[in-house]
Amino acid sequence: AGQDVGRSCILVSIAGKNVMLDCGMHMGYNDDRRFPDFSYITQNGRLTDFLDCVIISHFHLDHCGALPYFSEMVGYDGPIYMTHPTKAICPILLEDYRKITVDKKGETNFFTSQMIKDCMKKVVAVHLHQTVQVDEELEIKAYYAGHVLGAAMFQIKVGCESVVYTGDYNMTPDRHLGAAWIDKCRPDLLISESTYATTIRDSKRCRERDFLKKVHETVERGGKVLIPVFALGRAQELCILLETFWERMNLKAPIYFSTGLTEKANHYYKLFITWTNQKIRKTFVQRNMFEFKHIKAFDRAFADNPGPMVVFATPGMLHAGQSLQIFRKWAGNEKNMVIMPGYCVQGTVGHKILSGQRKLEMEGRQILEVKMQVEYMSFSAHADAKGIMQLIRQAEPRNVLLVHGEAKKMEFLKQKIEQEFHVNCYMPANGETTTILTNPSIPVDISLGLLKREAAIGPVPDAKKPKLMHGTLLMKDNSFRLVSPEQALKELGLAEHQLRFTCRVHIQDPRKEHETVLRVYNHLKGVLKDYSVQHLPDGSITVESILIQATAHSEDQGTKVLLVSWTYQDEELGSYLTSLLKKGLPQSTA
Amino acid sequence: YRELHTFELQAPTRLIEWARDSRVCVAGYAQCGGNEILQLIPPPRLQAKEAQGLCPERDFKVECGGFSKHPVYSLKHVPDTSLLVTSGPPDSSVQVWQVSAEDSDVIKSVGTIVTENSTGQPWAKIATISARAPWVLHGSTLDNVQITEVQLRKNVYTAGSQDHEELSGLAFLDSATALLCCARGRLCVVDMRQPWGGTQAVPTPAGLHGQRWCMATLCAHQGSHPVARLSSTGLLTLTDLRKASEPLASARARVPSPGAAAEFLCVSWAPALRGCLAVSGFDGTVHVYDTQSWDSSGREAEPTFVHKGHAVGGSGDPPLVTAHTWHPQRPRTVLSAASDGSLHVWDWVQP
Repeated sequence: AGQDVGRSCILVSIAGKNVMLDCGMHMGYNDDRRFPDFSYITQNGRLTDFLDCVIISHFHLDHCGALPYFSEMVGYDGPIYMTHPTKAICPILLEDYRKITVDKKGETNFFTSQMIKDCMKKVVAVHLHQTVQVDEELEIKAYYAGHVLGAAMFQIKVGCESVVYTGDYNMTPDRHLGAAWIDKCRPDLLISESTYATTIRDSKRCRERDFLKKVHETVERGGKVLIPVFALGRAQELCILLETFWERMNLKAPIYFSTGLTEKANHYYKLFITWTNQKIRKTFVQRNMFEFKHIKAFDRAFADNPGPMVVFATPGMLHAGQSLQIFRKWAGNEKNMVIMPGYCVQGTVGHKILSGQRKLEMEGRQILEVKMQVEYMSFSAHADAKGIMQLIRQAEPRNVLLVHGEAKKMEFLKQKIEQEFHVNCYMPANGETTTILTNPSIPVDISLGLLKREAAIGPVPDAKKPKLMHGTLLMKDNSFRLVSPEQALKELGLAEHQLRFTCRVHIQDPRKEHETVLRVYNHLKGVLKDYSVQHLPDGSITVESILIQATAHSEDQGTKVLLVSWTYQDEELGSYLTSLLKKGLPQSTA
Repeated sequence: YRELHTFELQAPTRLIEWARDSRVCVAGYAQCGGNEILQLIPPPRLQAKEAQGLCPERDFKVECGGFSKHPVYSLKHVPDTSLLVTSGPPDSSVQVWQVSAEDSDVIKSVGTIVTENSTGQPWAKIATISARAPWVLHGSTLDNVQITEVQLRKNVYTAGSQDHEELSGLAFLDSATALLCCARGRLCVVDMRQPWGGTQAVPTPAGLHGQRWCMATLCAHQGSHPVARLSSTGLLTLTDLRKASEPLASARARVPSPGAAAEFLCVSWAPALRGCLAVSGFDGTVHVYDTQSWDSSGREAEPTFVHKGHAVGGSGDPPLVTAHTWHPQRPRTVLSAASDGSLHVWDWVQP
């Protein structure tokens, strides 16, 4: 059990920027272990200086539960980003949890109501697919994640390097939310939750069918069904499910929803209607999908009414409030049933009864005997292995990093991802640092003149083959330009220097100088057919821009000295000529 | 139904095999490679004797997985070891895999048992036993049946048949006797202590040639329990090996005609429900029959239960059930898989 357990808090350093992703609380601990260890971020120095921003993916406490502690008790004054629904709903859940932890359990080292308010003042709300500039270089963008109302996946981009963090997401749509979606953004790294990666889930249809069957059976025999839920989340899903079922089966037993809960939920779903799925939006035009025909507001007094009924009440783990009150009233009757809709934290009544406890100690040493039926079901919406593969296929990341609550071995999934997508897959443990190497591309402007000149040299440019070009890179302020050397010299005000090489080649030839020159000329003309070989009136030979002159050796008349002279640009041809001449001249015929 | 749970595998499987500690194995059979062998932990609710309605865990968990380039048509766990053997096209070799769930969740390939002239042969049928040593009985035709010791991959027995007849299945009856089922219907009881000549043959039921047959045996009751044979036209015959000359009983299953190819024909005895067997592979259904009321007339039998789950829902062509298996302890629980990747676990109410 407990696949919803774990606290998420990830630190990403990208191109010099530091971003914290989520700030979750571990609900299984009662001491400081429930908060992330922020000393990992920096041992000394203020967090505000170190972090460029904090991003919260959705309102579940294991993703945002430690936020007020972090910002108000540890100290952080920078921006906190989340979607609009998350910003609206987070404080409600935080306050709810604070009340229970402090008021009910009497803990002291916990954030206060004022801290929650102060923390939320630092929040900047974002829309889906809206590029938000955190600063000049860092930008973020939210994508729809499904899972719960307002949940988002975030892309964090600095220059051409980017990371996508999924938070919790779901790749299959359900009754009130759509499926997660991302474009082919090709991030350098995709960080994905993987708690359900090794699960092959029972189909939703079967789950729903069994849930409805149990509710129906209980109601048919006159019993009462209690479903403790959180204010928002799966409750809406189950309401839609029951409403449809009641309508189809023409059932008469009343269904109640805690007062306050309906209004709140309706309010938020109306406010954030674009966050629900297509079907809901369509129906919303005709009537409010969350105004149910068969589901009515609950009044405390109804709990004592005889006869069957179904009640949705908060809070979800039976740890306090109305749901616990109702539970106490109904627990003694075996015709009744309580259906726990999700994970329950240790220490709560929900957790105890799910573990099989049937005698509970309440306040004032009262013992409550639980005769009612206890059932558990999980309708949580997470991506499984197939879903993770689908998301990777959509985003096309260069690297994948999987985060999960338990230190389970997931070598198989790692290999599966590596084999199918040819990317690296990482699975770090808590506290571990993973380094991803990226190939940043630096854009450089090239002058048109240089481009034309270089493109004209050699074979026709081929789009598929790299072409070597020569130029000078000028870096001024933040601009990079590639220009011809002449232009660079001009811009920098430098004088151009010419480099000239001269080489002496000795040739054995007793004849007169001008005859030697003629021999050399004829030889070169024969060999270098593609080049311009000229015999100038002043007795020198030119091959392209290379100059060859012959003089007699000062001491030995039989030896002629050829002076071969070339510029740096003609280095290749110059060397070639020199070695060619060093081989000597062919014997002339006749 | 008493219970019905539907799951979706990422890739369809044509085998569902029990491994140790109640694990279930499935594997992909795609020709183009990239097949996965998965060892799954069934949901805890399946391990309980009584149905519990909404139990904490209703899902299968992938405990470990391996990758196979070739399609996996058959898989067997080697008892008392952490090894698995698989077989499939393109030849009659047998692959050996190691499952070491403690330090890694990858099923590693540790070797291949290659037989002489195995290329071009149909894929091998396999059976395993751990008697004196962990053995795998394998072969694709009567003339290449052998027993290999799995860990050292050493041959310990070769059947001496010269007959090139294709096999559709084989099974150990005990540590010295094996049962071979030919695709054309003939059964051969092989005593490994004797030369091939001493093999007892059980002929194909009279007048029924040109069909493809497969068989089912029941591990726990080797000698005494009848062997069932299923043909591609739906005929079922039960034979007692001790009195092999006359079939015990026969009946006809209700199958659609023209039938599908005999690719996925599957018949199996229920381990905890006397005289019950299940049949699948003709369409998207699994039939359960109670053979106790059968006689030798061969007339059409009424199934006790028909699981239609795979054929219901979805668009396009209905899928074919590729495999089914019984739960070893729960009497009426069956697992079935189909060509669309679905995996169902179901239990019916006794009428």
